[in-house]
Amino acid sequence: MQIRFTPEQESWRQEVRDFLDAELPPEMAFDVEFDEDEALWEFSADFTRKVGAKGWLGLNWPTEYGGLGRPPIDRMIMSEEFAHREAPLSGSIGWGLTAGCLLAGGSDEQKAHWLPQLGRMDLHVAEGLSEPGAGSDLASLKTTARRDGDDWLIDGQKTYTTWGTHAEWLLTAARSEPNSSRHHGITMFLVPYDLPGVSMSPMPNLGGGMQNHTFLDQVRVPAEYMIGEEGGGWNMIMNAFYGGGIHAAHSYYERSFREVLKHCKQSSRGGRPLIEDPLVRQQLGRLALMVEQMRMLTYASVSNHNNQKAPEFGGALGVVVGKEMRPEFFEICQEIVGPLGQLKAGHFSPLGGQVEAWYRHSFANHAGGTSQVKRMVLATRGLGLPR
Amino acid sequence: MIDLEFDEQQVLLQQSARTFFASECPLSRVRELEHSELGYSPDLWKKMAALDWAGLSLPKTQGGAGGSLLDLYVLYLELGRALVPSPHLGSSVIAAETLARAGSAAQQRCLSQIASGDLIVSPALMEAEGDYGAEAVQLAAAPTAAGGHRLDGAKLLVPYAHVADQLLVLARTGPAPDATTLFLVEAEKKGVDIEGLDNTAGYPLFAVRFDAVELSADAVVGAEGAGWETLKPALDRASVLQCAEIVGAGEAVLEMAIDYAKQREQFGQAIGKFQAVQYLCSDIAIDLHLSSLLARQAAWRVDEGLPHQVELALANAQASEAAQRMVRQAHEVFAGHGFMLETDLQLYTRRAKYWQYNLGEARYHFEAAVDAL
Repeated sequence: MQIRFTPEQESWRQEVRDFLDAELPPEMAFDVEFDEDEALWEFSADFTRKVGAKGWLGLNWPTEYGGLGRPPIDRMIMSEEFAHREAPLSGSIGWGLTAGCLLAGGSDEQKAHWLPQLGRMDLHVAEGLSEPGAGSDLASLKTTARRDGDDWLIDGQKTYTTWGTHAEWLLTAARSEPNSSRHHGITMFLVPYDLPGVSMSPMPNLGGGMQNHTFLDQVRVPAEYMIGEEGGGWNMIMNAFYGGGIHAAHSYYERSFREVLKHCKQSSRGGRPLIEDPLVRQQLGRLALMVEQMRMLTYASVSNHNNQKAPEFGGALGVVVGKEMRPEFFEICQEIVGPLGQLKAGHFSPLGGQVEAWYRHSFANHAGGTSQVKRMVLATRGLGLPR
Repeated sequence: MIDLEFDEQQVLLQQSARTFFASECPLSRVRELEHSELGYSPDLWKKMAALDWAGLSLPKTQGGAGGSLLDLYVLYLELGRALVPSPHLGSSVIAAETLARAGSAAQQRCLSQIASGDLIVSPALMEAEGDYGAEAVQLAAAPTAAGGHRLDGAKLLVPYAHVADQLLVLARTGPAPDATTLFLVEAEKKGVDIEGLDNTAGYPLFAVRFDAVELSADAVVGAEGAGWETLKPALDRASVLQCAEIVGAGEAVLEMAIDYAKQREQFGQAIGKFQAVQYLCSDIAIDLHLSSLLARQAAWRVDEGLPHQVELALANAQASEAAQRMVRQAHEVFAGHGFMLETDLQLYTRRAKYWQYNLGEARYHFEAAVDAL
């Protein structure tokens, strides 16, 4: 039993901090998922390419595909530091999910072709998995891919397309085997947005970001844009979701907690500092507990990886906790700050309007499937209860 | 390096403890002991001592085995799983570790007897206010002409006072909130009166009254006026062990709930097939896993001598609440069957109430965490 960072890991942490000091002015920190400001977006794309140029987007990937071959804990350390600064790292559907799919099921040739580009953020990829009728039940997707000569003809509709507005490529899951059902016969493609037949209609979200309906109307896609094997899509998606780099979600919460704690030390209510209010102290304690729960869940992932141990409870427990914690955590932040917490950024808003934004953002906790679905996995795969 | 696994020796210790308690203290025995005269088995306690467990964390020079807190942690997982009633936490951890660290040479002479299981020392902390911490201590220790102290007042929820040879008593020696002093008091002393307290867990808990109990100067443990500070390190360690006890019990409760959900059929299917029941079971798993992760971290930090007040307080807050929530959700799974005394779940349900409050409830630990932040 130990929780310790080696001197090498500490110096890696310092290297990440130095990079952020040099490349990220505090006023340019923002949540890429929810801010549609064009100037910030341009900065974020440049910033992400700088991270890519260091090789850090593919930090854990094998070196032959443009990665640095570093262990998962280094990715976690980097993620901790990036979260503490709210570093606007964009394009994770590309270097995260698409790369995860390729690493899980791409051919050597495909990996050699796509991964270096994804690692440099030369390709900006949007998410094209979910459909109007296939959300948590992704295996019910209906978009089809039909061979036509050397090409594929893709037809269907995707939704919630995150980053569709900014991306040039759509990571698309389509049913390539006629009459196949569930997780059989699904194939993955990278579809360029500029092909004839691709169109979008934007859907602004509660967080202040933009998602999209994406329509694929008999889009003719060259065979070289298929990734993985024909019919191997489901396996890739599952392993990309579950086998992706270790993300330091605790640092996201820790950053917010520190902001709220600072606010409590600086603000007064009823003639005393907020930090001296016994109820507020209990609420702060509860927030601190949630941060610690998330931290230890992350550390458990690292530990399991080091020990080559299968994750506990079907790998679903941490996901459930994370998803269910998010709205609760930020609701407690709201309760601590009080009525002015509903104010958007402005002269009178506490914490520069952050609490208001966190509240709205906190309902984005269903990407990758709802907590209910993950609880079913926990109960059946994790606890052995009957299906 | 992040490695949350126990080392090989700890795994072995846990395995042997599980085997030992499965044969020496099955739940049927726990039921018998609850209604026995003493509420625990001196025979079992002696056997545990013979395995070196009563002095596991004491220095070797004082008759102990020199184990770490994590070593004790794995033992406590099994004490919790089996619901073993024993004076271990009070005597072998809180009292013995405090005496080993702060006791006089004369006071330390009892350590080897604690380690051998021949002597029991019970800490007497809580009072009528029902609060944990130095501020709530009212029991007065007034200076006497002979240079000692005279104790007047009462302690509540004192574990195993009926078989204790000595009591470790926290008493007030000044008006400042933290002006307390720790005393080692012979339980047989004139003016000490013991009364059993019927309680939810059926645990051996007592009220101990001190009526003009005269103590000589050598009864003081550690520095006068620094009672809480003297006791605090051992209380911290004990609190982590109680988290382990809760985790061990939680594992047993989860296993029971899963088994029952698989085997009990209603509406033509195993109830474990219903998502509502799956939710209840996953709630238990979540509380259990989080309690375990936080408690292991706290134990490790204490062993390493790293700052640990925040992590320790949060581990306790988590486990204290989890103790309650886990049995509550298990009762939802067991429904009417769980309400019957013949079902073993109720043994855990009742013990959980003791754990929830012993060594500070969640409210106390949240406050302590924020204080340290």
